[in-house]
Amino acid sequence: MNRLTCPVAIQGLGCVGGFGCGIDDFCHALVAGSCAPTLSSEQHADGLAYGPAYLAQTDTLTDFVAKRSLRRLDHYARMALLGGCLALEDAGIAGEQREKVGVMVASGYGASTTTFSFLDSVLDDGDHCASPTNFSNSVHNVAAAYLSMQLGMLGPNLTISQFEMSMSSALCNAVCWLQQGRVDTVLVGGVDEHCPVLNYCYQRYFATVDGGQTSAKIEPFVFDRQTAIPGEGAGFLVLSADPDKARYGMIDGVDVGHMRQPTWSADDLLLVGADGHCNCGQWYESIADHHQNHRLASCTPVYGSQPTGQAFDLIAAALMINDQRLYGHTTGHTTMADSDTIDSVTSLKVAADGQYGAVHMVKGI
Amino acid sequence: MTTKEKLKQILVEDLNLEDITPEEIGDDEPLFGEGLGLDSLDAVELVVLVQKHFGVEIKDMEEGRPALQSVTTLANFIDNNRE
Amino acid sequence: MPTRVPVTGIGCLCAAGNTLDEAVASMLSGQRHGKPPARFTTTHVDRFPVFCIEDEFEQVSDVEMLRTTQLGLAAAVQAVRQSGWDLDQLRELRVGVCMGTTVGSAMNNERFYSEYRNGHTPDMGPINCFLNSNPAAAISRHFGLNGPCQTIVNACSSGTDAIGLASSWLQAGLCDVVLAGGADELCRTTYNGFASLQISAPVLSRPFDETRCGLNLGEGAAVLVLESQRVQQQRQMRAKGYVIGYVLGYGSGTDGWHLTAPHPDGRGLKQALAEAFTTSGVEKEQLAFINCHGTGTRDNDRVESKVLGEVLAQIPFHSTKGYTGHTLGAAGAIEAAFTLAFLRDGIIPASAGFSQMDPELSVIPVTEPTTIVKEFALSESLAFGGNNAALILARGEAGV
Repeated sequence: MNRLTCPVAIQGLGCVGGFGCGIDDFCHALVAGSCAPTLSSEQHADGLAYGPAYLAQTDTLTDFVAKRSLRRLDHYARMALLGGCLALEDAGIAGEQREKVGVMVASGYGASTTTFSFLDSVLDDGDHCASPTNFSNSVHNVAAAYLSMQLGMLGPNLTISQFEMSMSSALCNAVCWLQQGRVDTVLVGGVDEHCPVLNYCYQRYFATVDGGQTSAKIEPFVFDRQTAIPGEGAGFLVLSADPDKARYGMIDGVDVGHMRQPTWSADDLLLVGADGHCNCGQWYESIADHHQNHRLASCTPVYGSQPTGQAFDLIAAALMINDQRLYGHTTGHTTMADSDTIDSVTSLKVAADGQYGAVHMVKGI
Repeated sequence: MTTKEKLKQILVEDLNLEDITPEEIGDDEPLFGEGLGLDSLDAVELVVLVQKHFGVEIKDMEEGRPALQSVTTLANFIDNNRE
Repeated sequence: MPTRVPVTGIGCLCAAGNTLDEAVASMLSGQRHGKPPARFTTTHVDRFPVFCIEDEFEQVSDVEMLRTTQLGLAAAVQAVRQSGWDLDQLRELRVGVCMGTTVGSAMNNERFYSEYRNGHTPDMGPINCFLNSNPAAAISRHFGLNGPCQTIVNACSSGTDAIGLASSWLQAGLCDVVLAGGADELCRTTYNGFASLQISAPVLSRPFDETRCGLNLGEGAAVLVLESQRVQQQRQMRAKGYVIGYVLGYGSGTDGWHLTAPHPDGRGLKQALAEAFTTSGVEKEQLAFINCHGTGTRDNDRVESKVLGEVLAQIPFHSTKGYTGHTLGAAGAIEAAFTLAFLRDGIIPASAGFSQMDPELSVIPVTEPTTIVKEFALSESLAFGGNNAALILARGEAGV
């Protein structure tokens, strides 16, 4: 594990997803262990049924920003903006303190709905009717751009797209910025949007697995069966270089690499991003086998399978450390007695090709 | 529906002016800056919307600027250039 | 004391040439290869000129991937070759990959989507191809590297940001070597998008000119091999590899203003410049020249000129987009590669497309190939979303 010489403080958390909006809703769902995805009765004209998905609502965004200023924001940007607003509010960072805050956004697929809406404008009415609004809102950095514009965060601003490794990559960079003194505070998070085309692709790739049976829920510790259910949402953390601002503990290690030569480590609770994809199952299964002495948990049944799902794991890990409670799904031998503590959590996400991103979080220094 | 009415509807629906109704837009209210508060990205979107809904081409912003002053100027431009 | 990051290899492909040296020679002789797009059809009345890579370029992988990624991989192979690294040695180290792109991250395959929309059962080939084409992942996989691997999607400043971020990984000790750059192909979606924004010129672009009327799109890729000083010095002691140049400083700043229009006073650009000067320890008087973003749009060149006048007055500057088109996510990387080559060679090409000073801008780029003697230069990028980024680069010791 690449341990940081100066751990960074977690000052605030914000999230929106299929579980609801804000850390209270998220916590509630974590205690319940899972939440229900939205079912779709529709099917594509070729007969393929759309599957269930964990979908996010962003109605409460108008509590933070004027409705008029949201007119161009699509669902992707709205989720990110809401996640960011909630995290800044939770961190207690008011408008005038935001100017030097850096913004780091991770996204696997970017603004997928608007990407296809732009193609609609071309396919419906011809090349000369391509929509400039859709085009400019389909670039991946649009979420980070609106965060800076709407919330006045004018520090460094970067967007990363690395599929499942997006969030750990973003976190790695955010930590780098803090350690090198580029910024004192960073808003870092992940956002991904579900849409019918992605759902269709999902069904094309996975619906025939296991004889076309769609699983009713994600079973993170079943490694040989496809139980993934897609999700969407945004999860953001406010990180600070100032250890006194650690409202939820500290991040003291970030590690990326390949499971062939793993260098990550866990010394207490291991929170895995296993989200029911059997093409990642072999990696998580070997981890589960090797870490039988450690407590093992997963929160994916709460937020669904999405490239930047690790954002929610990092929020869950911070909450577990803060609340000293074990949330999410655990394996059989993972329990927590009243006298037990959670001293550290390692969040580990592995992609199908064996690339992993690990983040180590501790209570305090 | 008159060209002006149709234009107002397009402004509200396609530019997502969620806090205003078509009836509330004045015929001579400036579209940009003070007034409706549209900006440069709306201007190019409006060019596409006029093409799409009325089949009238605004070739570039040189030609577009005088037409894109208000609902009245734009409706006149459309009516004068319609086939 | 700022840490210098040695550059030991450069790969570059663009419309001006399929290698860095070809491109530099072509630019110095003033050639401009913009023409109407040939690789796809459109129904626009105007056929906006573009800068395409027309010749076959080296195909280094049999894996099916986007042209964007093929270009990035070809540039990476050139860069690694020049750096003199043995691949087995490289695999012993922690080697990161950091690539900027726009098209390489977008799931916008028109054929797939139109079949999907029409209720047909589309072939999943284009989606498989997209999933295989993350530029950073594809390069890391191709060479079998183990280290941080990131694709930067900051629109048109991605290439500059990727090199800046890669430098910070090395300075933070996260890895020993990084392949950093950017790649983008010319595609119908971006062609239609820029046309819809009315910032595509119907003629060859004229950056900073009074009659400028938009940009030309281009395609290409560039990759730099960046090394930690420790690794590079060890290598030099074994008399392998040489240093073409250095990344001395990087800065970025955000406009927080508008999605597609730059801040009228260049707020974020000034912030990026200030940070790049601070981190590099270079004074503006030490700059030999500035490679500007200089797209040729009314807005970009106005704001860039304003900032040049206020912050960087009297320093020779040019835009090379008149030779390459605007290569979007690759632009910052291609221009960083050019900047290093110009410093190495001691000469910069004219700013193509300029003939008439705009009285509103009151700045004049270099109008003919110009000899330079100072050892530092600046390359800057502006992007949609209000992202601005700048690199300060230095000449290496080795020369040609």
